[in-house]
Amino acid sequence: MTAHLTLEQLLALREPGAEPGAAAAREHLDACPGCQAELDAVHQRVARLRALPALRPARDAWPAVTARIRRERRGRRVRLLGAAGLALAASLALVVTIRHDVAHPASLSATEQAIDTQKQHSAALEATIRQYDPDARPLDGRTARIAEELEDRIAGLDRELEAAELLQAQTDREARRLQLWRERVGLLDALVDVHVTRASNVGL
Amino acid sequence: MDLIPVANAEAVVAGARAGDPAALEALYRAFEAPVYNLARRICRTAEDAEDVLQETFFEVCRSIGHFRQEGSLWGWIRTIAASKALMRLRRNRYRDTDELAEDAPAPGLRRDETALRMDLEAALERLPEVSRAVVWLHDVEGYTHEEIALMMGRTTSFSKSQLARAHTRLRRWLGEEVAR
Repeated sequence: MTAHLTLEQLLALREPGAEPGAAAAREHLDACPGCQAELDAVHQRVARLRALPALRPARDAWPAVTARIRRERRGRRVRLLGAAGLALAASLALVVTIRHDVAHPASLSATEQAIDTQKQHSAALEATIRQYDPDARPLDGRTARIAEELEDRIAGLDRELEAAELLQAQTDREARRLQLWRERVGLLDALVDVHVTRASNVGL
Repeated sequence: MDLIPVANAEAVVAGARAGDPAALEALYRAFEAPVYNLARRICRTAEDAEDVLQETFFEVCRSIGHFRQEGSLWGWIRTIAASKALMRLRRNRYRDTDELAEDAPAPGLRRDETALRMDLEAALERLPEVSRAVVWLHDVEGYTHEEIALMMGRTTSFSKSQLARAHTRLRRWLGEEVAR
């Protein structure tokens, strides 16, 4: 081999194991001061790369990591509570509706209609949050704390909704449910803001 | 053996596996700096590297139960970090590897000035993301082309050619061309 080795060939000579053409390249290298100098330059460059100072983070990420772990656990709990609560609410609502229909056939009170509207808002907001997949995204510590607080309050509301289903007086029950569903929508709306605003800020 | 030692490593890993917050934090404190450094060398911005640091330790905390103790703890954590950093590059739709013409000097500089003025840190920073990731993973972290190809979802030839391109550019920008 008379032509000088390419940089790719010189780099390949650093690899363990024999690559095709390695023997001829090695033979050329042994006889060529120019290629030896080029390989030395590669070694020196790599040594300088390895000696670059270590870069350190400007912020401690541990609080955000732990907040994210807690958020994931709470989120799972909120979803479970939400699913269980809504299932219970649905079954109780069915019983209530049947009872109500017997007493007042084919009528749907304004309050019940308002509750249905709030439920639809709630479902739409939950879908929006799922679409952003917050569990898969890092949050800064402050945002994570706000999200955690909102998720805790939603979980608390779900428990109150379950309890409201058991109220005896229908008027009280419907008024309470409407109030709770409205609060739930408000909190979900805030949670969407937390995730969406943050996502917009970082261009996601 | 880990290049980055953790005091009482076995007990720390056992505690972390059991979900002990103090043990998990000890892992974080031991590996925070090298993980960030790896992420920062691969990612374009400090913010991206901080996200990778966070994502890496979130994954470490979730998956420490899967870590097999006969392997290197740092090797395991480093692979998670490298994968997260490369994922971040993909998500940010990294610049095309040929976007920078090899001969193009930095804006405002003539070619001869480029070599005179650019130090290794700046030259590394200026490399296209993929080339920079390959040169760092291969030459500094010690990954093989096969391992890099696997992490990047590309071929070993791709990894080799990116490494050669990276060295060609670094050589030129650093004024290290050898007359042959």
